[in-house]
Amino acid sequence: MRTEPATRPRPAAPAAGRGPAPEAAPRRGLTRRNRPLWMLIPGGVLMLIVIVGPMILGIYMSMLDLDQYTLRRWVSSPFIGLGNYIESVVSSGLLRSVWLSVSYSLIAMLITLPLGVGAAVATQNAFRGRGIVRSVFLIPYVLPTFVVATVWRTMFQPEGVVDRTFNGLGMDPGLWLNGPNTYWTIIFVQIWASWPFIYLLALAGLQAVDHEVHEASALDGALWWKKLRYVVFPYLKGPLSLAFLIGMLHHINNFTLPFVLFGIPAPHDIEVLPMLTYVTSFQSFRFGLSAAMAVVSLILIAIPLFIYLRAVKLDDGESGGTK
Amino acid sequence: MSATLDVPVIQAPHEVDRPGSRQQKEVTRLLPTWLLGVVIAALCAFVLLPLLYIFLASVNSDLSVARGDFWPEAFTFENYSKIWTSVGLANGLANSVVVAGSTAVVSAALAVATAYVLVRYEFRGRLTMLRGLLALQSIPGTLLLLPVFVLYSSAATYLKIQIIGTHWGLFLTYLTFALPFSTWVMVTYLRGLPKELEEAARIDGASNLGILTRIILPLSWPGIIVSGIFAFLLGWNDVLFASIMTRPESQTAAVALQIFATSTEGGAVPYYGQMMASALVCAAPVVILYLFFQKYLVGGLTAGGVK
Repeated sequence: MRTEPATRPRPAAPAAGRGPAPEAAPRRGLTRRNRPLWMLIPGGVLMLIVIVGPMILGIYMSMLDLDQYTLRRWVSSPFIGLGNYIESVVSSGLLRSVWLSVSYSLIAMLITLPLGVGAAVATQNAFRGRGIVRSVFLIPYVLPTFVVATVWRTMFQPEGVVDRTFNGLGMDPGLWLNGPNTYWTIIFVQIWASWPFIYLLALAGLQAVDHEVHEASALDGALWWKKLRYVVFPYLKGPLSLAFLIGMLHHINNFTLPFVLFGIPAPHDIEVLPMLTYVTSFQSFRFGLSAAMAVVSLILIAIPLFIYLRAVKLDDGESGGTK
Repeated sequence: MSATLDVPVIQAPHEVDRPGSRQQKEVTRLLPTWLLGVVIAALCAFVLLPLLYIFLASVNSDLSVARGDFWPEAFTFENYSKIWTSVGLANGLANSVVVAGSTAVVSAALAVATAYVLVRYEFRGRLTMLRGLLALQSIPGTLLLLPVFVLYSSAATYLKIQIIGTHWGLFLTYLTFALPFSTWVMVTYLRGLPKELEEAARIDGASNLGILTRIILPLSWPGIIVSGIFAFLLGWNDVLFASIMTRPESQTAAVALQIFATSTEGGAVPYYGQMMASALVCAAPVVILYLFFQKYLVGGLTAGGVK
C-alpha cells in the first residue's frame, strides 16, 4: 500500500453535484488513488468462509450419498452425481413443496399489496395521532417471527380463541394447525406479519410524489380515486415491484414461520420447501438428499433475485424502482 | 429545498399558502376523511387485537386460554415470575443478548469499513461485490445449515476448536449473515454523505484510516445504528441455526420459547400463559429498540428507497 498523501483533490465537482447527479458520469468522484482495499478483507474473508464456502460445500454434498452413517467421514462418502436430485423429484414430493412454497408466497404477497398501499395512502397526510398509528402499523413487522408464530399457534389451537370466534358466528371451519386448512393458516399469518413491509415501501414511494403534482391534480379537479389511480399509483409501481421481489424472496425462504407454527414434522398439507429440506436432514438424516433440495431452493430463489439485481442501480444513490 | 423557503418572500403571503397550512394539506390529501378513518381503524384493529390477546393470555390461566377465552377469567401475573426458571428464559435471554449484541457491534464496525471502500474507491470487481452483497442476503438458510454445521464440526476435529454449542458458533454465523445487509445499509447511507469534508481532510493530510475514523464515523451514526440493529435482530430472531447449534446452556431465547411447544405434547394442557408471557418478554426488547430508533430504522428498511 502506498502511503503518499493524496496530493491533489479531483477537479471539484460542479456545485450542484449532489442533486440529481447527471447519469453521464456516475463514477465521478470515485478515486483510484491510495485505496485502502485492506479494509475489505475482514468482511470479505468472513463472507467467503461462512457463506460462499458452505454454499459450494452444500452443492457438492448434494451429489453425495450422505446419511447419518457417512456424515462423519463425508469426504469419502460415495459420489452419486445427480442421484439425489432425481430421487427428490421422483419420490420425495419436492415438486409439490416447490409449488406450495411459491403459491403460498404469491397469494400472501398479492393480499399484502393492497393492505400496505392502503395503509400508506391513509397515513400520508398528517393528522392528530399519525405518529402513533405509524408506529402501530410497524409492530407486526418488528415482532420476531418466532414470537408471531408462537402467538398465532396458540390462537389457532383447536377450541382456541379463533375457533371460538368462528363458532360464535355459527361456523365450524375445522382444524387450523393440521389438515388442509394449514395452507390458509400460514398465508394468513404471513400476511399479518409482512404487510408493513409493503406499507413502508409504498410510503417511500408516496413521498416521492412532488407537491406540484398534487397541486396540478387539485387544479384539474381530479376526484380522489381518479387521482389515486392515474396520478399517485404510477409513482408506486417502482417501489412496489421492488417490494414484491424482496417479499417473495423472504416468503420462499421463510423457515421459522412454518417451523414454529406447525412444528416438525410439518403437516403434509404445508410441507413447504424449507420445512421439507430441514426434516429430510434432521429427521430422516438423508443429508445428501436434503442438500439437493436446498440447491433446488437456491435455483428457485435465483429467479426473483436475478430480476432484482438487474433492477437495482448499484452505482449512484438510490436502488432500483424508486424512479 | 430552497424553493419552499422562498415562497413567503416572493408573494404577499396569504395565510393559506404557507407550507403546512390547512389549505396545503388539502392539496396533498389522498382519501376522503371517512375512508381514511375506516382504513386506519380496520388496520389498527387487525394489528392490535392479536397483540392485546397476547397480553391477556399471558395473565390468564392455561385452562381458560385452552377454552378459547379472549378475556381472562382472573388476572394473575404469576406466569411472569415462573418463566425465568421453568424453561430457562433468563438464561436464554442472556445468551441472546450476548450473541446478538456482539454480532451487532462487530457487524456494524465491519460494515462501515467495507461500505466506505465500496462507496468511495474505484477498483476492479467493485460492482460485482455490490451485487454480491444483495445476492448473499437471499441465500436460503437451509442450504447453509448443514455445510456450516459440518464446517464447524471439522474445526473441532482437525483444529481442536470447539465451535458447536458455544456462543462463538452462533456469533460467527450471525455476524456473517448480517454483514451483507448491514454493509448494504451503510453503502446507501454513505452515498448520501458529502464528499467535501473528506476532501478537506485529505488536503490536511489525513490518512484513509484517519478519514474513516474522524470524518466518516462521526457523521454516520444513524446509519451505523441501523445496520447494528438489523444485525442484532437477525441474531435475536433466528431459530434455524440456534435450534441445531446450541446446547441447553447456550440456547437462545428463541429456542427456549420452542420448549413450550415441544414439551407439552403429552396431552396435558400446555403452559399457554407462560408461553404468551415469554413471547411478550422476547418481543419487548425488539419492539422497544424499534420504536426508539424508528426514525432511522424506517429509512434503513427501505434502504435506498428514500431520497
